[in-house]
Amino acid sequence: MSTIAPALQPPPKPQPARVPTDWTTTSMQGRIRRRYRSERRFRLLGAGAVLLSFAFLVFLLISMLGQGLRGFTQTELRLPMDFPAARLALDPATLAGPNARAALAAVDLEGATARAADRAYGTGGYKLLSDGAWLSVRSAIQADPQILTRRADIWVPTSTVIDLAAKGDADAEAEAGYRLLDARKAVRTSFSMAFLTGSDSTDPTLVGIWGALKGSLLTMFVTLILAFPIGVLSALYLEEYAARNRWTDLIEVSINNLAAVPSIIFGLLGLAVFLNFLDFPRSAPIVGGLTLALMTMPVIVIAGRNAIKSVPPSIRDAALGIGASKVQVVFHHVLPLALPGILTGTIIGMARALGETAPLLMIGMRAFIASPPGGLADPATVLPVQIFLWSDEVSRGFVEKTSAAIIVLLVFLLAMNGIAIYLRNRFERRW
Amino acid sequence: MTETSLNDRADKQQAAHGGTLKMTARDVDVFYGTKQAIKNVSIDVTQENVTAFIGPSGCGKSTFLRTLNRMNDTVASARVTGDITLDGKDIYGADMDVVQLRARVGMVFQKPNPFPKSIYENVAYGPRIHGLASAKPDMDAIVEKSLRRAGLWEEVKDRLTDSGTALSGGQQQRLCIARAIAVDPEVILMDEPCSALDPIATAKIEELIHELRGRYAIVIVTHNMQQAARVSQKTAFFHLGTLVEYGDTSDIFTNPRQTRTKDYITGRYG
Ligand SMILES: Nc1ncnc2c1ncn2[C@@H]1O[C@H](COP(=O)(O)OP(=O)(O)OP(=O)(O)O)[C@@H](O)[C@H]1O
Ligand SMILES: [Mg+2]
Repeated sequence: MSTIAPALQPPPKPQPARVPTDWTTTSMQGRIRRRYRSERRFRLLGAGAVLLSFAFLVFLLISMLGQGLRGFTQTELRLPMDFPAARLALDPATLAGPNARAALAAVDLEGATARAADRAYGTGGYKLLSDGAWLSVRSAIQADPQILTRRADIWVPTSTVIDLAAKGDADAEAEAGYRLLDARKAVRTSFSMAFLTGSDSTDPTLVGIWGALKGSLLTMFVTLILAFPIGVLSALYLEEYAARNRWTDLIEVSINNLAAVPSIIFGLLGLAVFLNFLDFPRSAPIVGGLTLALMTMPVIVIAGRNAIKSVPPSIRDAALGIGASKVQVVFHHVLPLALPGILTGTIIGMARALGETAPLLMIGMRAFIASPPGGLADPATVLPVQIFLWSDEVSRGFVEKTSAAIIVLLVFLLAMNGIAIYLRNRFERRW
Repeated sequence: MTETSLNDRADKQQAAHGGTLKMTARDVDVFYGTKQAIKNVSIDVTQENVTAFIGPSGCGKSTFLRTLNRMNDTVASARVTGDITLDGKDIYGADMDVVQLRARVGMVFQKPNPFPKSIYENVAYGPRIHGLASAKPDMDAIVEKSLRRAGLWEEVKDRLTDSGTALSGGQQQRLCIARAIAVDPEVILMDEPCSALDPIATAKIEELIHELRGRYAIVIVTHNMQQAARVSQKTAFFHLGTLVEYGDTSDIFTNPRQTRTKDYITGRYG
């Protein structure tokens, strides 16, 4: 090594004379200007695109919130109930016992409520109340049976017209009526949990989103526990084990095509297979979940294969080189490294499934369902279908409820994306 | 008949070179699809000596090295014929478990490839999957011993939980060596372990090879003639898939029998 000395190097060979490049000619300057211009143009276009999509998002949010937040509030009317005078055949003692439900069902609370309204607000006063106002009276009695022995003011939901008037969205006559009531301090508008805890109803003042939300949760649960393990295992098998031949090429093409099939076709498939052939219950989350799992699986397989492919082969060599078995290589190294990508793909697929309406209409999840599903086989509906159904209603009161339901759906989606980002950051590793 | 003559030859070689036979290869051919990458190579690896593989790029050194622990099994198109034995047992035989073989014949790759896990976990992974340590103190001891042998302990003892990928290139390569010796293999195959390292890191690894010599049978692929001369006792020169010359390093470098060997080590081609 030490023998390498400059003296031993051969002298440089003669070269043709070098003509220096002139960087100052006009054509050179023109090229520089054009380069700057095209760079500026591209930056402007990019910024414009980002701004435009941001504007769309802001517009969507503002219009949804403007409409929808009112859907979470409820106008209530003060209803003075004179229980002793109403002479209900009810005894506070029975209401404390086990027969309370039967005893309450036997009396005409609806009539008593209407009569109390007539007495307080003049003939026709019952029209100020929501159809379900008596339910609030019943809840009040259940909460405190002693109320039956005295006069009491109970806040009950108003009719849609008063509700809309309170929110400044009704005709002049209704608004005038509302102002009169307001002057008597007989109405209030407040945030109400009823929308978050109730289910579908024919009366817009009584509807709630919980039934559809629970339906969505159950459906997503079925989709996730089917599509995630099957999708991930398929991706692992195809990437790590399957030989490359015509059969695996065929499978790959089929999966890619499956991911592009319109969702309504999966609905028809679900209808034919799960309902007609296997005889599963209609409108049930289990069938919805199965159908959506068929749709989500290809997305997970494709995302999973890409994530697995991007794990550097040197990691596999390293593990094999110290005597790890194939399964150990896959589950100790490849899968953990691919997990962030797999999870991102899964959440994208799940978010798409959460927003699906068409396939669920095909399997009957569009029925009117007034109570939340108790289990996977109970009739249910889901958020997007509920939104679709409400947006179709003629009653004005449903407009803000539709927007409120959309807000719930968006919050659900944002929560899912938030979880995805959290999980990705948690598992993300550099190599 | 070939069996006995091979054994005779091996015995003679053993006598000649004074080493205990660890691995033998006889008439090995390796094909990638229809392309032959290794042609009829026979070689012995002895316990006491460091064996260096040299030769121009693409001549099949890595390919042959990878047949010694069956890493070529992972290449779908690769096919190996001939006999390769470890302690007299055919490693391509039906009763050879490939996972155990790779634990006994460890490998250090050309490019450092630590797992994206902690330094501790990198070293502990092998012993853990092979059940070499049952309790945490045993594992700690193995990790420390391996890192010490790889000459990395002093540099990382305070940051064992840091990611192995956060180390410098030379440290990563020594970590990979520690990982390989943690499972206590009998043979270590090193594929150009210093190709990405600066002279100081290279010197450390060469020092390390000296320390490990004798405890493990070592095979090293290198492009660096000086390195082969410094660390090895045996040298094999490959050219176009054939083994041109194999013998004591001192003979190969001072007195090559083949003109091709002479041309290569004097830098006339390569
Ligand atoms: N996976 C593979 N598939 C097909 N051919 C391969 C594969 N790996 C190596 N080869 C071919 O086999 C021959 C030997 O390659 P090998 O990697 O063993 O060379 P090498 O001596 O290690 O070279 P280098 O010194 O550059 O690392 C080369 O011609 C190469 O193109
Ligand atoms: Mg190589």
